[in-house]
Amino acid sequence: MSGDSPSVESVIRLHELTRKFRTERGDVVAVDRLSLVTRAGEVYGLLGPNGAGKTTTLRMLLGLLAPTHGEVDILGTRVSEDLQKIRQQVGLVSASAGLYQWLSPLETLRYFATGYGLSKQQTAERIEELVSRMGLSGFLHRRTATLSTGQKQRVNLARALVHDPPVVLLDEPTRGLDVVGSQVVFDFVAELRQTGKAVIVCTHQLDEAQRLCDRFGLLHHGRLRYEGTMVELQQQTGLSSLVEMFLQILGRAARQTVGV
Amino acid sequence: MKMAESLRHSKRAIGSRQVSWWSQQRTFTWKELCETLRDRRTTVTLFVMPVLLYPLLGLMFRFIAVGNAAQLAPEYRIAVETEQEAAWLSSVIQAGEQILQSRPLRSGLSSGTTPLEPKVQFLVPNDAAEFDLEQSVAEGNADLGVRVSFSERQISDGFPGADVSVLQAESSPQSNSVATHLRERLAAANLLTAVNTIRQSGKSFSMPIEEALQWIKPLNQTSAILGLLPLVLLLMTVTGGVYPAIDLTAGERERDTLETLMALPVSRARLLMAKFIAVLTVTMLTGLMNILAMSATVYALQMESTLFGESGLSISLIFKLLSVLLVFSTFYSAILLLVTSSARSFKEAQALLIPLMLTTIAPGLVIMMPGWRLEGWLTIIPVVNILLMARELLEETLNTFPATIAIASTLLYASAALSLAARLFGTDAVLTGSRSGLRDLLRRPRDVSEVPSTAVGFSTLAILFPMHFLASGFLTRVSGTDFSLRLIVSAVLTVSLFAGVPVLFLKWLRIPLKSGARLSHIPVRIWPGIVLIGLSAWPWIYEMIIGLQSIGFQSLNASQMQQVQELLKAWREVPVALVVFGLGVLPGVCEELFFRGFLLSSLRREMNTAAAVIVSAVCFGLFHVVLAGGAAPERLIPSTVMGLLLGSVTCRCRSVVPAMVLHGIHNSTLLLIATFNQQLANLAVGEQHQSHLPASWLAISAVILGIGFAWTAVATRTQTESRMLIPESQR
Repeated sequence: MSGDSPSVESVIRLHELTRKFRTERGDVVAVDRLSLVTRAGEVYGLLGPNGAGKTTTLRMLLGLLAPTHGEVDILGTRVSEDLQKIRQQVGLVSASAGLYQWLSPLETLRYFATGYGLSKQQTAERIEELVSRMGLSGFLHRRTATLSTGQKQRVNLARALVHDPPVVLLDEPTRGLDVVGSQVVFDFVAELRQTGKAVIVCTHQLDEAQRLCDRFGLLHHGRLRYEGTMVELQQQTGLSSLVEMFLQILGRAARQTVGV
Repeated sequence: MKMAESLRHSKRAIGSRQVSWWSQQRTFTWKELCETLRDRRTTVTLFVMPVLLYPLLGLMFRFIAVGNAAQLAPEYRIAVETEQEAAWLSSVIQAGEQILQSRPLRSGLSSGTTPLEPKVQFLVPNDAAEFDLEQSVAEGNADLGVRVSFSERQISDGFPGADVSVLQAESSPQSNSVATHLRERLAAANLLTAVNTIRQSGKSFSMPIEEALQWIKPLNQTSAILGLLPLVLLLMTVTGGVYPAIDLTAGERERDTLETLMALPVSRARLLMAKFIAVLTVTMLTGLMNILAMSATVYALQMESTLFGESGLSISLIFKLLSVLLVFSTFYSAILLLVTSSARSFKEAQALLIPLMLTTIAPGLVIMMPGWRLEGWLTIIPVVNILLMARELLEETLNTFPATIAIASTLLYASAALSLAARLFGTDAVLTGSRSGLRDLLRRPRDVSEVPSTAVGFSTLAILFPMHFLASGFLTRVSGTDFSLRLIVSAVLTVSLFAGVPVLFLKWLRIPLKSGARLSHIPVRIWPGIVLIGLSAWPWIYEMIIGLQSIGFQSLNASQMQQVQELLKAWREVPVALVVFGLGVLPGVCEELFFRGFLLSSLRREMNTAAAVIVSAVCFGLFHVVLAGGAAPERLIPSTVMGLLLGSVTCRCRSVVPAMVLHGIHNSTLLLIATFNQQLANLAVGEQHQSHLPASWLAISAVILGIGFAWTAVATRTQTESRMLIPESQR
């Protein structure tokens, strides 16, 4: 597995990343001293139930949310130092991300390519490549509002890669997709791995994660409970599947809550 | 290996920006325009609303006008006892009417339109025996009762004469009007008989008195409509911007496109600017459609002269209206974006906009009342100033100075709103949906920053401009008093405005004064250059003023000149040191603290150095246009140039202190020369017959100025301007 090789440089580094939210019931710690490293060509699964702090972590990675404490470092650049450079290096795929309904997929891709600073020629080349890779040619000029969910998802994946970023973040990438749609995402992630991207996938679908990821971080209440490859996790926990490991974490947490 | 190569490839591809700033900004704006204009809801508001509204308003106006006219024709009820009396009275009234309307009894009735003649109705009982004429009048069934006893006498045209007894109701204006109406006509008939009798006797006769009548339309009728028109026009125009503003801000979050948009490596201010231009475009298109629909309606219903006076609705008037609309739309689009940027959904945005719309309508209704003029403090009240401006434009009574102040203040408010909107748009709170939003702007920040944000800069500017305007007015009020008192008031106002306000803001934001106002220490070697520039810049600034005055930029009238002369006389009686300190050094230091220390630093967080220096200089120039009791447009360009110089010096030296010294020296030099040289004193305030400074003076000052620049450039060579102080993440 590529992640095991120390010779490949680390791409994403999170150090003691913490984020608190102020609520009416006091401060809530969404992410708690999260530290992790991912490498090029590695697909890292950030797993956890809803509310575990996955999306908050991704938002801090993109500089959309400022960490209360800690630091994000992507390819040697800190988020707090050069936010725009970080954003240029990261592509974001989110299941909840919408598309501009009055634009066509082509216009959407052009808009984001220019937003990421690509020249006209670069944009044209990049879009041509993505159109053939993602199979967008059939609906390239249609208004996105008229596209099917699967077609929209493919446009979304292409949009995330329009600037060819070394880091790709996927937030619940298969949510709301059927089997065919999900397969498109799986193929997409496999391709990202092949082209040497550092990928973080956030999901609560553990079986899917097991198929997609090289390494896993099990997040609960903002804390990283276990981390490693599947083999390493099995050794650490003595359990065979991610589902069992999670149930154990949840069970322990529940027992702690009731004081057992 | 392949993987590492691929990664390197990725790194190459995402290197620095390959597309120009403008091209990028154009794409951002294009996307917003597509999103807005392709939406049918926008186009419906844009085209259908005005096309429906104005004809309806026009018809309503017509209806009201016709209704009024109908009310003008009163109905007079005259009770008589017999049909014969009624017939006689009717004929005599008609004959009298004809006599009254024609020469020789009345001439010159041609001008103006006459109100409608009253309709006279005769009440005749079926049974005269049971009818009580007195009772009929007393009960108000008839306005007047008339009894006619025919006589042997003859009226002209063969009518029989009669004794007419009139029964008029006491203290009834209506009964009085009917009686007067009747009497006039009976008298006219009598008069005509008399004239004819005289003429028949062979004597010539002409009326000793001839009366001519002209009907005048009261002015306030037009004013009310003219007051309503700008309000309708402006309200309709901004309505066009409401939907796009919500759609492009709160809509981004509702449709889940906000996150990917915010993930772009572009500042929020740039994204918001694109949205602003889109909203402004739609608003202006709506305005244009409204003006077109209004013109078409006015033309079709032939109401040009009623609404716009003799000249009607001319092309130049439409152009002027569009200019006012542009200013108002700029302001309103910025305000709309500020409000909607903090909203997390359409619903929330709409709820926030309702109070905004109401607060716009309220002043609109107030200014509809005649008597309100665009002057004094009204010129700086947002919305009110533009509404008044629009009305005065239609009435053709608009003056340049209040209009300038109104436009300048409105544009400043707009920039402040826009920069605040950029601060709110796509923030943590909006993105994550946590409770906050507009209130965040008022919350004291927890994080300590080194430099105020651009939003704070513009907001302070928007607060200071009207305050400065009021302070200038206040100074005029104390002008009659002792000069020393005036000096003290002026000093207090200068310090509290230009130093007090920014310092308060910095304290509140927990920004250290030293970094927030750029009060850094500078090396001694820089000083000689600064002093030389300070001493030698004035002749050029002065020449610029003279030049501008010679091409027609003259603001002070004779009485204001007189005031200035008196002021000059007065200040020669006060110790020079006090004048120099109060009017030279103190304003220099305080204005620099704000314009170059506070504002310039804040602007540099969103702009490059050149743009920040230019914007702060233009603001500096605008502030100097506002003078106590009037405007000095000729000061705009020289003050802006001075602002550019001071801004450049500040950036070059990375401290505001040299600019303070330079400004202080410059002011003081001018004051000293004005105090000691009568001729120059006259020159300095702008008399018509100015002479230019001797060429030798200009040559000497140019040399000193050159040396000053060179010295400063060399002395600051090692400290080239960097983006220190501003952490990358805060840009």
